[in-house]
Amino acid sequence: MRDSTHRVRRRVAAAVCAVALVLPLAACEALTPGSATAVPGPTSVPSSTAVPDGDVTLRLQFADAPLMVDALIAAFEEKHPGIEVEPQYKTFSDYVQNLKLTMTSDTAPDIAQYAVGMTDLAADGHVLDLAPYREAYGWDEAVPPVSLDQLTAGRTSEATGGRALFGVPAGLSMTGIYYNRELARRAGIDSPPRTLAEFEEQLAAAKEADLTPLGVGALDSGGLHLWAALLNQLMPTDEYWDWVNGRKGATMENPAAVEASELMVEWGRKGYYSESANGTAQVDSTARFAEGDSVFLINGNWAAGQLAAVMGDGVGFFPMPGERAGSPTVASGFSVSYAVSSLTEHPEAAGVFLDFLTSPEAGQIIGDNGFLPPNPDAVGKPAGVLADIARGHRRAVADDGITTFPDFAAPAMLDRLRSGVQKLIADRIGPAEYLDSLQDEWEDHHGK
Amino acid sequence: MGSSPPVPGRQAADRRVRGRRARGRSPWRGYVYVLPAFAVYFAFAVLPALHTAYLSLFEWDGVTLGDWVGLGNYAEILQDPVLRRSVFNALVLVVFFSFVPIVLGLLSTGLLARYRRPGMGAYRFLFMLPQVVPLVAVGVTWRWLYGDDGVVNQVFRAVGLDGVTRAWLGDFGAALIAVGLVGTWVLSGLCMMLFLSGVQKVDPSLYEAARIDGAGPIREFVSVTLPHLRGELAVAMTVTTVAALASFDIVYVTTNGGPGEQTTVPGLLVYRLAFSEGKVGLAAALAVVLGCLILGIVYLINRLSRSQT
Amino acid sequence: MNTVARSERWSGYALLTVMAVVVVIPFLSVFLASLQPAGTPVVGLTWPDRWSWSNYETAWSVAGFSDLIRHSLVIALGVVPACLVLAALAGYALGTMRLPGGNAVAAFFVAGLTIPVELIVVPLYFDLRGLGLTNSYLGVILVEIALFLPFGVFWMRTHFRSTPMSLVEAARIDGASSATILVRILLPLARPSLMTLGLLVFMWSWNQFLLVLVLIQDTTKHTAPAGLGFFVGQNSTDIPTLAAGTIIVMLPVLILFVVFQRSFIAGLLQGAMKG
Repeated sequence: MRDSTHRVRRRVAAAVCAVALVLPLAACEALTPGSATAVPGPTSVPSSTAVPDGDVTLRLQFADAPLMVDALIAAFEEKHPGIEVEPQYKTFSDYVQNLKLTMTSDTAPDIAQYAVGMTDLAADGHVLDLAPYREAYGWDEAVPPVSLDQLTAGRTSEATGGRALFGVPAGLSMTGIYYNRELARRAGIDSPPRTLAEFEEQLAAAKEADLTPLGVGALDSGGLHLWAALLNQLMPTDEYWDWVNGRKGATMENPAAVEASELMVEWGRKGYYSESANGTAQVDSTARFAEGDSVFLINGNWAAGQLAAVMGDGVGFFPMPGERAGSPTVASGFSVSYAVSSLTEHPEAAGVFLDFLTSPEAGQIIGDNGFLPPNPDAVGKPAGVLADIARGHRRAVADDGITTFPDFAAPAMLDRLRSGVQKLIADRIGPAEYLDSLQDEWEDHHGK
Repeated sequence: MGSSPPVPGRQAADRRVRGRRARGRSPWRGYVYVLPAFAVYFAFAVLPALHTAYLSLFEWDGVTLGDWVGLGNYAEILQDPVLRRSVFNALVLVVFFSFVPIVLGLLSTGLLARYRRPGMGAYRFLFMLPQVVPLVAVGVTWRWLYGDDGVVNQVFRAVGLDGVTRAWLGDFGAALIAVGLVGTWVLSGLCMMLFLSGVQKVDPSLYEAARIDGAGPIREFVSVTLPHLRGELAVAMTVTTVAALASFDIVYVTTNGGPGEQTTVPGLLVYRLAFSEGKVGLAAALAVVLGCLILGIVYLINRLSRSQT
Repeated sequence: MNTVARSERWSGYALLTVMAVVVVIPFLSVFLASLQPAGTPVVGLTWPDRWSWSNYETAWSVAGFSDLIRHSLVIALGVVPACLVLAALAGYALGTMRLPGGNAVAAFFVAGLTIPVELIVVPLYFDLRGLGLTNSYLGVILVEIALFLPFGVFWMRTHFRSTPMSLVEAARIDGASSATILVRILLPLARPSLMTLGLLVFMWSWNQFLLVLVLIQDTTKHTAPAGLGFFVGQNSTDIPTLAAGTIIVMLPVLILFVVFQRSFIAGLLQGAMKG
């Protein structure tokens, strides 16, 4: 008897195991991950500018400038009472980490901020080609075409045969160096540097004066902005573009990139960075700079509103200077732009909203919030540090020197850059090894 | 299954059936009660775990059709320095999440084992406090405590050690230790309380006997207290080790893996690889490695603790 | 010998006290920071000049913690009852009946105690998305039930095994069905165990982070911990409001812990022991 219950027990155990193994195996066919079929539905918007009848709600997911977006939505809804825009704010790192998930899910928002990974989403048909609207709404007249050409994802439009368009810019951004006028004076610095070498001298002078020369918020993206700013001065701009766009054969393992990375290490060794750079987020580095913690700060124009409010005329801005006094102004920057999901039921309403972004009224709101409106002529002249930024941006645009951020090169690049730059700052890695890790990631995504 | 047993077993089978009838009901009927729990558990925990193992054999971006790569993802885990580093970091965290709390727990137990312990209620309440609050809230709290203006630096300044102050979570040498100490903070109380409640079961006469034999406090601890805590020790090791290896929440909100890869742990990479870097297969493989590591260690701990009893 | 013993004992208490202080300081530090005027930089442990409770209002209404708390409650209230019912049923059968293969099934449940969220979260996202269960509380609730059931079943099984079989036998002889035995006789006795289990499950559900982060992409549906993790990146400079938010997120479990201290501690210690 005992024997037999034992056997039964063993057989049941075997049955349970068998079920556990067979069920998923039987389901395997259905579980083969992914699908080979293309996303159903249209890949581009209709070419009409009709305003839809009836009440429409657009969901907008974004990661930058919540105050600006709220103001834009309020102004828009007043003009178009039939269209409601529901904002969904996420922090930038959350947003970027989840963008692919969000946009490929059934509950994708109608409108989403353009960010790393959008290129892939555009290629897979998850965001709509807006090229028909570009013509229908006449966006080329409303905003400088160059800012639209950043958003083509390197593709041609199936609908118009011209360049594709996967986003419409609201505010433009650019990184550069802020300086504290009072502290700079104390270090004997009386004007913004004209060359990179001059900037280095100023950093040395600040160090000499017992001040912290350069604030960096390298816990998130402040460090990579600095690296990119140096790289922009040393590496030919078109080679950089090739790399970011994933053109075959492009490489980051080149002498200019080595030089830029070496410079970052050297500045660390000389003690130019704020002591806790690697443990400080960008927002915190900005707050510390506003408190008078360092002479210079690397950050983007998005910090200008906050700095102007606290420091008034005590703060200035310049783009990272080039190797020679006559070098073109090159700075990394991007637009806060919005793309439209291919799952949206209201492409026309989305078009109306995007068109509103190019209007002078929106431009004023954008400018008031410290961003550069896509159409600078539409708004009043800014003052103080905002004027410095507008001037710098105009120079960079004129020199064709606005480049995208290096993390746009691949979805995983942000992590490689952030951790790699942290290591450069702490003198934990050589430039060659750092660049090798970037190139590995690049090849992983784009192939050799 | 299902087919009738071979002839030689026939008699036994008959007896079994008769036995069942004699009791009136099929013993299988009880499974009606088990089935709902089993179904949910199987569908939403076991099946996904198996599915993870299956996905780990593919190279898949989460959208387009995946490519079968066999064990390729596992080979990559062995080769990729970042992935390897994350496993190493998790093992370092075991020291802080598991070893240190257990030592602290044993130390306090050793010191208090032989006495009646009035006032323990208040201590117990305090020590279990870090156990019940969300780890995210713990992480947010410590992120600030470790900051430039945090309590940690405040303490160092107060005792005149201005030179050592820094943003601890951004320091290459200190970040992993700092994260580990958060784990120590969370888990020490649990270990302490486990051991102290375990030691209550020890017959006081054993201590008296040991003392009559002339045993000092250390020998007493080794020969009386420790052997009685074997069960608690196994439990404490299991719980804390799993917490260390599967850590995610604290790292996500304090350092997000930085600086460099100093605090990158497997949980963080599983999340990043799968959901932002489009390497779902690799993420699944890392998850499987993590799961096996946990299962292996838990099995080992329980095996060891049992073989000694 | 007495002095040695006494010094030993006092050093034991001294160690406990030092540890207790270390445990309390972070809580105290966050609490004090939450009372500082909003937007001011806060240094370490600083007694506020004036107590400003307004940070809690800000966090509650402006930063949206009221919604976050509500979402967490919805999930927890879905998970706890379901988990209790399923665990009680399965624990009853596995603990009191001689099921063929019952031990293997019980062991199969126990093995689930070692499943980390990381091991299941990747396919869960894709599978549940296929079923339309992402961005939905139902999806999170089902997965959490599955995750907590191994402990629940084990806990209830242990409980039912320790109840005197004579009660069950007597009822069985009286002709009571197995369901009647469970409902009329065993469940009333199991109330303390169920209570402890409910508290633990509530706490685990409340504290769950990674699962929600992945399964709920819509930030307007986030739970308290997910919302807090998200709030940090956004407002790390406004320490007082952040601290108030942190306290709000901790508060529900803290209140339960204070009120049901005994059950909680017993559950955490015995639960760990039995598991």
